[in-house]
Amino acid sequence: MKKYLTITPEGTKDFLFAECSAMDDVCGKIEGVFVSRGFKRVITPGIEFYDVFSLPCSGISQEMMYKMTDNKGRLLVARPDSTLPIARMVSSRLKNSLLPVRLYYKQAVYRNNPTLTGRRNEFMQMGVELIGVKGIRADLEVLTTALSSISSVADDYRIELGHAGVFDALSNELDIDDDYKEKIRVSIEGKNYSALNNLLDKLKPCKAVNAIRSLPSLFGGEEVFEKAYEICDGTHALAALEYLHKIYNNLSPLSLGNKLIIDLGFVQRNDYYTGIVFTGYINGIGDAVISGGRYDELLSEFDAPMGAAGFAVDTDAITIKQLADKEVSYSDNPDILVFANDGHEIEAIKLVEKLNGEGKKALFSVLPTLEETKQFAEKRGIAEVRTVG
Amino acid sequence: MKPLRIALTKGRLEKTTIELFEQIGYNCDEVKNKGRRLILPVGDNEFEVVLAKAADVITYVEHGVCDLGVVGKDTILENGTSFYELLDLGFGKCRFALATKKGYDFYSGYNTKTIATKYPKVTRTFFDDKNMDVRIIKIEGSVELAPLVGLADGIVDIVETGSTLKANGLEVIEWVTDISARLIANTASLKLRKYEIEQLQKKLEAVTK
Repeated sequence: MKKYLTITPEGTKDFLFAECSAMDDVCGKIEGVFVSRGFKRVITPGIEFYDVFSLPCSGISQEMMYKMTDNKGRLLVARPDSTLPIARMVSSRLKNSLLPVRLYYKQAVYRNNPTLTGRRNEFMQMGVELIGVKGIRADLEVLTTALSSISSVADDYRIELGHAGVFDALSNELDIDDDYKEKIRVSIEGKNYSALNNLLDKLKPCKAVNAIRSLPSLFGGEEVFEKAYEICDGTHALAALEYLHKIYNNLSPLSLGNKLIIDLGFVQRNDYYTGIVFTGYINGIGDAVISGGRYDELLSEFDAPMGAAGFAVDTDAITIKQLADKEVSYSDNPDILVFANDGHEIEAIKLVEKLNGEGKKALFSVLPTLEETKQFAEKRGIAEVRTVG
Repeated sequence: MKPLRIALTKGRLEKTTIELFEQIGYNCDEVKNKGRRLILPVGDNEFEVVLAKAADVITYVEHGVCDLGVVGKDTILENGTSFYELLDLGFGKCRFALATKKGYDFYSGYNTKTIATKYPKVTRTFFDDKNMDVRIIKIEGSVELAPLVGLADGIVDIVETGSTLKANGLEVIEWVTDISARLIANTASLKLRKYEIEQLQKKLEAVTK
């Protein structure tokens, strides 16, 4: 039987040296932002019951989950997302605590992607959840935390902002079933104008149909609102639109300029979002690095109805870009290699500690002879070899 | 700033797309005299064109190494997952069809039907929508052969004129969907380079209508 002794499963990889340093660097900066905003870390189990992720609103298909069973035959999955486990945790462990709570996580998630697409099946995610409160102050807190996080690791970025309520309100005005609504949603999400027009042409023309037709093209700066008010006039989408505009205006002191984009065609697959939704993009990364929003109904699924908002950051994608940019060097080569003659080992180790305490980079040689130590230093490019005893 | 990078499907779609680019005023001489090069500048280095096989166009765009792509709807249906489909370019028109041997009553009986196809995903979706369980066999070459030699009850394939079907005694019993060339965009690129992409999209839209 063939043994897979030397390779890792598809979509996973080992992280070595500079890769770890870069990851620590990226995660450290983002963690700094989270901590300074008063978020406290939690860790949830790597495996959970399948039921936690099988909610209709979870947005994670069963093909995407790694599954196993426990010794009672119950179905378990390798955590494919952190928000649902946190909702589970809050609804049970923190049900009676003082609200709101600010939580953050830094843990890997697992997704079983189609083979040979080059996607990562295990990746590190960091994120925050602000749970137990609704309203504009909470939304602004989460949004500005996302902005500070992304700007701590990149200069050229965009944050795209939308509102789940716009499409919801418009589509509820149409006399269509859920399947048809989902088809419309998918075509807006993919900015697939021709498919969207085909779907809408089959419906009776009305204000909502016209508004939905324009949704995918309604993205950009503040000018979007003017057009949007015009087309949503007389529909129930107006309330969500006005709220989004208020958020946009509130963010204006941050002078984000074209870094902040409004996208009304932003209708996510995770349909647990109920209010604002946002994603973050960094120039040079072909996929969203931040995604989040308000999900006021999710906790009800766990019998603990309360408002909540949060976002997740794909720190691995940022780490990979940082390593490719080579702007930051993650070299860890020591300056001094310390060799101990027989009987002077502890003395030499103490010297290494002393040198490192003085800010020099010293390393204790574990090789048996001075000759081998010198050869190693030359190959590794270590300038100085010091002998003790 | 780097020029926009557009992946084109090699062959017929590439030629028609280049004609469109010329119509909207870009100099495409480099692409026409490409030799063996695979990355070519267009116009005054306003964007660059990458030539790839159809399914690879999608892969390059999804991973964001190309900002835009021109690819047939057939390839999108079979391989696509996450990108923006901005524009129906209106050329490269054909259709997916279900075909059988002439006179064969495909929908009769309760036995599971066997379908030979180059497009297993399209076939699976088509029959899923009919709540019909079929056995799908992937064929790489001339699919028309499969029902003739008795491997399959029918085929799902691209039909342009229907002359190959006719010559082999097959007939279309149902149209699956229409196909044409599409302009697709990487999701992050559309957000990060909205203005440039929109300009190009508008120009193309004007000449394809």
